[in-house]
Amino acid sequence: MNEAVRAKSTIITKLKYQLIRIRYRTDILLSLIFIVIFSFLVLFPLVKIIVNSLTYQDYDLRLVRNARLGAFTGYHYIRVFASSLSYSIFIKPFINSLLVGFGVTIVAMILGSLLAWVIVRTDIPWKRFFDSVIVIPYMMPSWVIALAWLIIFKNDRIAGEKGMFSYFFGITPPDWFSYGLFPIIVCLGLHYYSYSYLLISGALKTVNSELEEAGFIAGLKKSTVLRKITFPIVLPALGSSFVLTFTRSMGTFGTPALLGLPVRFFNLPTRIYASINSNNTGDAYVLALVLVVLAGITIYINSRIVGVRKSFVTMAGKGFRNRPNALGVWRYPLAFLIIFFLIIVFLLPLLLLLWDTFLLYPGDYSISNLTTHFWVGKSNFKIASGEPGIFRNPGIWNGVWNSVRLGVLAALINGFLGLFIGYAVVRNRGTRLSKSLEAVSFAPYVFPSIAMGAIYLGMFARPFGPIPALYGTFTLLVLIVVVKNMPFSSRSGISAMLQIDKSLEESAGIQGIPWFKRFRKIIFPLTASGFLSGMILTFITAMRELSLIILLVTPNTRVLTTMIFAYEDQEEIQHANGVTIILITLIVLANFIVRKFFGNKGLTGLKET
Amino acid sequence: MIKRLFTILILLTFTGGIALVFAAGKKESTAGKSAYPPGMEKWLKEAKLGPYQEHPQNWKEIEAKAKEEGEVVVYSSSSRIAKVAGLFEKTYPGIKVKYFDLGSVKSVEKTVAEQKADLYNADIVTTGGSGQVIHKLLDNHMIVNFVPDTVGDRIPKKYKEPLLIRINEAIVFYYNTEAYSEPPIKNIWELTTPKWKGKVVTKDINASLSVFMGFATIVQHAKEMAEAYKRMTGKNIVLHDGVPDAGYEFVYRLLHNDLIILKSGGKVAAASGKRGQENPPISIIYFTYLRYNDSKKYANGVITPLDPVEKLVYPTYTAIARQAPHPNAAKLFTAFEMGSPKITKDTVIEPPYTKGKSAELLQGLAPYYDPGSASPRADVPKPRGGEIWDELKGWDVDPDFMWYEAPKLQDFWTQQAAK
Repeated sequence: MNEAVRAKSTIITKLKYQLIRIRYRTDILLSLIFIVIFSFLVLFPLVKIIVNSLTYQDYDLRLVRNARLGAFTGYHYIRVFASSLSYSIFIKPFINSLLVGFGVTIVAMILGSLLAWVIVRTDIPWKRFFDSVIVIPYMMPSWVIALAWLIIFKNDRIAGEKGMFSYFFGITPPDWFSYGLFPIIVCLGLHYYSYSYLLISGALKTVNSELEEAGFIAGLKKSTVLRKITFPIVLPALGSSFVLTFTRSMGTFGTPALLGLPVRFFNLPTRIYASINSNNTGDAYVLALVLVVLAGITIYINSRIVGVRKSFVTMAGKGFRNRPNALGVWRYPLAFLIIFFLIIVFLLPLLLLLWDTFLLYPGDYSISNLTTHFWVGKSNFKIASGEPGIFRNPGIWNGVWNSVRLGVLAALINGFLGLFIGYAVVRNRGTRLSKSLEAVSFAPYVFPSIAMGAIYLGMFARPFGPIPALYGTFTLLVLIVVVKNMPFSSRSGISAMLQIDKSLEESAGIQGIPWFKRFRKIIFPLTASGFLSGMILTFITAMRELSLIILLVTPNTRVLTTMIFAYEDQEEIQHANGVTIILITLIVLANFIVRKFFGNKGLTGLKET
Repeated sequence: MIKRLFTILILLTFTGGIALVFAAGKKESTAGKSAYPPGMEKWLKEAKLGPYQEHPQNWKEIEAKAKEEGEVVVYSSSSRIAKVAGLFEKTYPGIKVKYFDLGSVKSVEKTVAEQKADLYNADIVTTGGSGQVIHKLLDNHMIVNFVPDTVGDRIPKKYKEPLLIRINEAIVFYYNTEAYSEPPIKNIWELTTPKWKGKVVTKDINASLSVFMGFATIVQHAKEMAEAYKRMTGKNIVLHDGVPDAGYEFVYRLLHNDLIILKSGGKVAAASGKRGQENPPISIIYFTYLRYNDSKKYANGVITPLDPVEKLVYPTYTAIARQAPHPNAAKLFTAFEMGSPKITKDTVIEPPYTKGKSAELLQGLAPYYDPGSASPRADVPKPRGGEIWDELKGWDVDPDFMWYEAPKLQDFWTQQAAK
């Protein structure tokens, strides 16, 4: 036998071996399939956007003489970073994005960690109630508070009707208070604190009081204990909430769009939206990349500082006590302060929106101006351009159906994919394959929503590989929501799988029970609660999503959030507010039902991210 | 893991990127007509369109074939297309209208994306955005002009060539008639004076091609703008550094006079039009939103006389998409959009326009039968209160200017708006 033949036969044997191995190792097969799919859905878009940013696009042909469509060029980068336009296209929106990002993160983290500490670590009354209610803002779209802000603090800069504040008190708030950076930070901060709260309270709950007590016994001061013992334990949670809040608030579109434009306050997302709308995709791609890079840097810095992976658990089988700090006389005042806070961030905005839906003409709060027309009225061309009341409006019911469909489909797909990925990652733990899969499924995290929408718009406007042109279809909405939520659902899938010992499945495997049956009969039941909490999380995110899908929705695939924006645009304030209330009711109701019937898991899924 | 992610990202990005950069580079014509793409000639012959049109058009045959086709797919920039579709289905039962209300930017975008991919879903493309429609869609044979001969001879040439216009609309200047007994300005340049600082409202040009076209048309008429300035001040206009002419200068001064930019036309119309305001602004927005005076109790009035221009007219075109799968239904729909041939100058059309006998006459014009819109047909009488359309002196949007010059204006606007 000569060398070549021998080499050939070794290769064949190796291949055969690998094939047989894969046949019996479903986890490997799954890993491979998922890596291919996600590379296609996540990494390829990134490549595509980079390529597009380096080649002449349609629009450029009108600005640049001699430009050839698709030819290589640094034109967009020069235009965005080093031209007379840089200040307005890049520098100012960039600074604004950073200001929003840092401002919101500071407000949200201070609020979130204070609340978490008070509720988890002190003897404040009504703990359980607070713990479940305080995260409700998480379930509302982030811009609901902005809508309420406009109702209250609208001043005469954008003319039209008066804001509530000037109607009742006769004082007109200054521009900086009504629009721009300040209200954007306040409104987003009052939404994103719930992320910090969820993550930090989760970490605090796992801190064993004995650790702190040991410190006290050793004669440390209270502040030293806090600094040296408690703080390091919650550091990973603080890091996660920093990354989550910072990247999200920098990439958010809704609130800056509502509160920014009247004072020409642009951040990167609203600038991207403007560029896409004016067909200038080159600018949009470069700016989207800036957001991706920023998110990447944030995650990188966080991983450097915290030095550990995000899921960080201190729970062990040993004695565990959580001895709350006594608040003394402050117990009830503090509890009422929290209740007051909840009223401001949750109840008040909703009540204001609700009140507004009963006004015939917005801005007139007299009794004679009350009407139920916007809920039950028939189409009347003298009011709201003939748009029928919400309960009689087939368009709105179609939106409800689309939203629920999107939420449920995304939740189901994400739930199962998360489980499979978790299975594939955990069973191969330590191998290169497992690490790659984990990384790839985490990759959508670095895409700011609006940037991802922009990428998918460009990618699926025409047939792409084996996929037909998906633009304008409902499938595309489901696809992007599923991909965007993958980091979360794969994380909860992985942590659910980590709890199951390999031996359980192996013993069944030895008896010759096929993989699918093993999965169905053993693994799935054991992971069901994690699965469910992952699903409800995806459901909530999908239902309140706007930034991600605003570029992809067409009138036939409208969901509630985009309808709210459309009504808002048409100055049909009552309809916008009414639909907002329906949306929030649906989300809260779904969450309530799941908690009621499937155990008190609810939002805990977020902690696993 | 993070490291790993970055390594993967970087590797894939580079390899894929380089491969794609070299794979790309398809040449495409951007100006002037090019040759027919493959397959189009055959389709034109079968559909009897373009050079293969019959004279006269055989409407009996078209209608019969349209009924066989059973469907027409419409991409539209106007939300009122829903009403047109409803009226059409009532008139021609058995032909379903599948309409996509996409706005002008996405109507063009979707058509281009699909045609480039040889996907032929659309029958009708009816949208604004003059530069794009003429120089992108028509020049590249993505759409075909079709003028129904039932009303063709009643349409002035400039409204049917190179492409049929189905409705003309305009950008106008509104004041609040409740707060002001007469228009508060007489010259457009007054908007740039301290008196109106922070008191002029318009829609973001990035969010509306129509508003953008309005401003572009002002810029295009730099000479007239300079003359108007002289009439107001008695002096020649002095341009700011780097500003090329009086048209741009107007935009420059308006933006630096704290022009308020809102994200939707509805909000702009509300800003000037809402009742009960003490110091309402002037708004620059769609003429057709005058209808909100009825449906939302606004108090908007069109500013006239105004030197040098009172309305900026922009068209909504209608065309048949290349390789349209339902060409006869598309022809029938086009004819329907233009209104019944039975209408003459003396026809009396009573409101409500979208119902009964009026709707039968107006057909696809019915939803647009308001003072702020005008049919290109010379023989369609104006609706109640619509005489004002002809009285306002206007400038027409120029597709060539929009195509070649407008991106510069867009950059200029973006740059100045940020300061």
